[in-house]
Amino acid sequence: MRNYVRFTIMLILLAGLIVPMSGMAAQEERVLVVGHAESTDSLDPARAFTPTSSMIHQAVYDTLVTFPPDSVDRIVPELAESWEVSDDGLTYTFYLRQDVVFSTGNPMTADDVVFSFMRAKNITGNPSFLAETIESVEAIDDYTVAIHLSEPDPALLAKLIFGVFSVMDADEVIAHGGVDNEDAAEEDAAEDWLNQNSVGTGPYILESWDPQVETVLVRNPNYWGDPPYFDRIIIRNIPEAATQKISLEAGEIDIALDITADQVPALEENEAIEVFQGTSPAIIFLLCNQDEEIGGPMSNPLVQLAIRYAIDYDGILELAGGAAVQPASVIPVGFFGAFDTDQAFDRDLDRARELLAEAGYPDGFEVDLQYPEFTVRGIDLSTLAQKVQADLAEVGITVNLAPGEILTELENYRNGREGFGLWWWEPDYQDPVDYVEFLPGRTVGLRVNWTDENADPEILELRDRALVEMDDEARLEIFADIQEYLQQNGPWAPLVQPGVQFAYQAGLQGVVFNTQWIIDFALLSY
Amino acid sequence: MPLYVYILRRLALMIPLLIGITLVSFLIANAIPGDPVAANLGQRAMSDPEIVEAFRREWGLDKPVVIQYITYLNNLLHGNLGRSIKSRRPVMDDLKSFLPATFELSTFAIVIGMVLGVAFGISSAVWRNTVLDFVVRLISILGVSTPVFWLALILLFIFYSRLHWLPGPGRLDVTVMPPPTFTGLYTLDSLLAGQWGTFLNALKHLILPGFVLASYTTGLIARVTRSSMLEVLGQEYVRTARSKGLHERVVIMRHALANALIPVVTVIGLSYGNLLSGAVLTETIFAWPGIGRYAFRASVSLDFPAIMGVSLLISLIFVATNLVVDVLYHLLDPRLRTG
Amino acid sequence: MVLGIFVVVMWVLIAIFTPQLAPYGPLEQNIPERLQEPGPGHLMGTDQLGRDVLSRVLYGSRISLPFSLLVIIVAFVLGTIVGAIAGYIGGIWDELMMRITEVFMAFPTIILAMAVAAALGPSLINAVIAMVVVWWPNYARVVRGLVIGTKKNEYVEAARAIGASDFRILARTILPNCVAPGIVMATVDIGNAILMFAGLSFLGLGAEPSTPEWGRMVSDGIDFFDQWWMSAFPGLAIFSLVVAFNFIGDGIRDLADPRMRRQR
Repeated sequence: MRNYVRFTIMLILLAGLIVPMSGMAAQEERVLVVGHAESTDSLDPARAFTPTSSMIHQAVYDTLVTFPPDSVDRIVPELAESWEVSDDGLTYTFYLRQDVVFSTGNPMTADDVVFSFMRAKNITGNPSFLAETIESVEAIDDYTVAIHLSEPDPALLAKLIFGVFSVMDADEVIAHGGVDNEDAAEEDAAEDWLNQNSVGTGPYILESWDPQVETVLVRNPNYWGDPPYFDRIIIRNIPEAATQKISLEAGEIDIALDITADQVPALEENEAIEVFQGTSPAIIFLLCNQDEEIGGPMSNPLVQLAIRYAIDYDGILELAGGAAVQPASVIPVGFFGAFDTDQAFDRDLDRARELLAEAGYPDGFEVDLQYPEFTVRGIDLSTLAQKVQADLAEVGITVNLAPGEILTELENYRNGREGFGLWWWEPDYQDPVDYVEFLPGRTVGLRVNWTDENADPEILELRDRALVEMDDEARLEIFADIQEYLQQNGPWAPLVQPGVQFAYQAGLQGVVFNTQWIIDFALLSY
Repeated sequence: MPLYVYILRRLALMIPLLIGITLVSFLIANAIPGDPVAANLGQRAMSDPEIVEAFRREWGLDKPVVIQYITYLNNLLHGNLGRSIKSRRPVMDDLKSFLPATFELSTFAIVIGMVLGVAFGISSAVWRNTVLDFVVRLISILGVSTPVFWLALILLFIFYSRLHWLPGPGRLDVTVMPPPTFTGLYTLDSLLAGQWGTFLNALKHLILPGFVLASYTTGLIARVTRSSMLEVLGQEYVRTARSKGLHERVVIMRHALANALIPVVTVIGLSYGNLLSGAVLTETIFAWPGIGRYAFRASVSLDFPAIMGVSLLISLIFVATNLVVDVLYHLLDPRLRTG
Repeated sequence: MVLGIFVVVMWVLIAIFTPQLAPYGPLEQNIPERLQEPGPGHLMGTDQLGRDVLSRVLYGSRISLPFSLLVIIVAFVLGTIVGAIAGYIGGIWDELMMRITEVFMAFPTIILAMAVAAALGPSLINAVIAMVVVWWPNYARVVRGLVIGTKKNEYVEAARAIGASDFRILARTILPNCVAPGIVMATVDIGNAILMFAGLSFLGLGAEPSTPEWGRMVSDGIDFFDQWWMSAFPGLAIFSLVVAFNFIGDGIRDLADPRMRRQR
């Protein structure tokens, strides 16, 4: 592989020298091999909902609007050239580009947008909640689409960037069993096909997906934008960070996306390899089930607070290394309205013991901690769980570790069957409204059976206001109240916001971390 | 007794065994707490009463356990092993696509084990009580004592991570395309397709896992060869051959070896059956897409249709190799033939 | 064999006196000192949570040794009972029990153990159960053969003549004559049991993640390839113990060989 890289570089240099002969370089297929810990159980945009699928969707599909490559603080056009919002905030009108064709060769029109969005909404898959505020989608003419909302949504544009709103070739999806009507949840049969094929307008096409083995993307010959440098992207599932590092050093892969902070010093000494470091928006947290039948003592608010006091956050930060930070709540540091690290929780073992005694557990209790065998942004959850186990042992809580295989455990988590769990959250869109999902009755809240019935009226009211408030001043205040509430109450104990580390062969250009889609393969080149 | 009668009798004896195997795998899969429907269908399909109903009917879950078992047998006879929860494909398809990788690896390993083991065993017996004998006995005892997963890590650390002499996990480098599928064995397929580079790459990838997997077998075969050889060398006809003034090499190769190898064949046959299943640890570490790794993944994700499928397949192979070994034994040993 | 006994005795002593020998607790975390190379403070270095590898390896002897022995003992007792009854009663019961053992033996050992361990949920005791399920048929078959061999002896006939009950004949007269070869076989198997136990733990189907179990510790080291000491030393511990048991087993087999051969 390293020889191949050298060969390619040589070819490029030669091509630069002898311009008329540069066609020669194009003869050799340019392959990018990516090492990545795969996390998805689907690649159907309407159903997939993991970092892996976001990364792949970014390569094979486009959305109406998007972020610039290197930041998420502003929204820029993609398939829509421009858009306008009605005064009541309930109608968004998008004017589509007229020069876009799908990888199938069919032109992209408003009907495709309508089909893709309605299918995403009606399938009621894991990401469909993003389309919750969308009442209907209407094709005004071939290149104009109107989205009608049931209520104002301050985060709509940010949501539309997520892969679930990928615009797909409607005819092709329908031909393979796709359905966008209200019965799509039962009738749609396109998932298997969409797991192996893509029908988007992105720079790449999904050639194959072998779950837990590899995903192969090839260049889309009909791409409307600038053609990407690489002809073929092979995303190898390499779950172990150590194997990713060795594969990179051996030149078998071009970029390793999941290396750990511990590996950075050794990699930085290697001249053939470069390292990118930043802070990820992921939050790793402990969850306590609010249903006493499932959570047992963990459903007790005093115990939940005691847990937050009992954790050795400084130790965890040292364990995480790199550019990791301690979040002050479930909203990542750096987000609009998020508390900064100086407002984060401090360890107080005495307070934790007092709270446990008050809750009726002066001698502690025994509990299982459920988590997937997985490495999140370089942090091995098993190691972190052992740290939590040791921390809670100091206040008398005996934690038994109960790791599970990722997909099995994901089922338990999503269905609210974990009493005490260790999980992580990656934002779907870069707006604090996304974190309303941790509140009662919302996606993540329901995973711990935190419902409208068993929650305080105070947090329910804050939740409802956060969902519709469009004014930034008022939003700041609401989110400050929510974070304060979650520090003292509620089933979450945020532990750490990990750093993000990529390591890649020196000479690879365009390596940029984006919190939405991890990395954009179309920007990479040698 | 003519050979074919013997084989027929053995085959007939296999029938109760096979029934027993299906029964045990059925019992394991059913001993699990929890709803098999929920485990097999997943959340989405569970919400659809029609799908649930169809599944119950297909596997007879609304009937008593005995009927369920019969339904299962019936499905089995029709080649229906159910659908893997994890891969969402029919288990039969999964097994078909994972078996060649394991077959290739374990065949490679048995060849290593056979060649090294027999060579070690013979030389150790012939030069009994010399330094060589001592070294060989030490190696064979170390071979059966090394935890394969540990050996795998150490070899990977030395030859892959540090020296870069041999490739790491997987059947091919990530940049090398698999050869067109005829047999599913990459070495054979690449040769058939005339792809030399791919062949060499596949071969290189076989070396580390092959040796790791062969470590136990080599030790075992060396031990058996040695003791069997010693026994034969002490026997009357070998002494007779020697006294006739035959060259020592002729004595060993012609007279002793043929007889000494009879028990060795048995061990090789049994080891081969074991290798297929012993590949679990090796395949897991070397990310080898074979049935051992498949079985491991199936176990940890409680994917019972897959576990049952793998168990059945390997048991079948095991029973079949046993049969072949016994037949060979029958052919090789004249005493058994007349007896 | 002498070397083997020496090593095993050493490990047994270590297991007994671990708390006195180990410089640190097996679960004692010290994050600032994580991933340290072997050196004066930590002779075998520290792991990803700053735990002392030496202490964990020493404590590991308290798991691998007793649990592997437990597997062999339970499997041996169970196998002996089944085998003795089958061999003594004979007839259809004998046929049936032998067919059952054949079925278990036809199953790939590690896959059967893995499936059982996974189904019961990963824990040390469940790993033991899984291994007993795999192991007992070996002993049942051997003991059955021995019982059938002994049954025909004159002293058994004598015991029957004086009116001893079946149970008494079996327990007092036959079994004591069969136990010795069985124990030889069990000793030879201890090494294999340790290997398989570590293998199951390595796959995450045995001890809980923080337990200082050798197989588990080796698998922790996979993610820390450059910190070779994390998996090298626990692996060495398994290796030394298994080699020692195999030396002993070899020795015992040599001693018992003429007798074993006659029984076949």
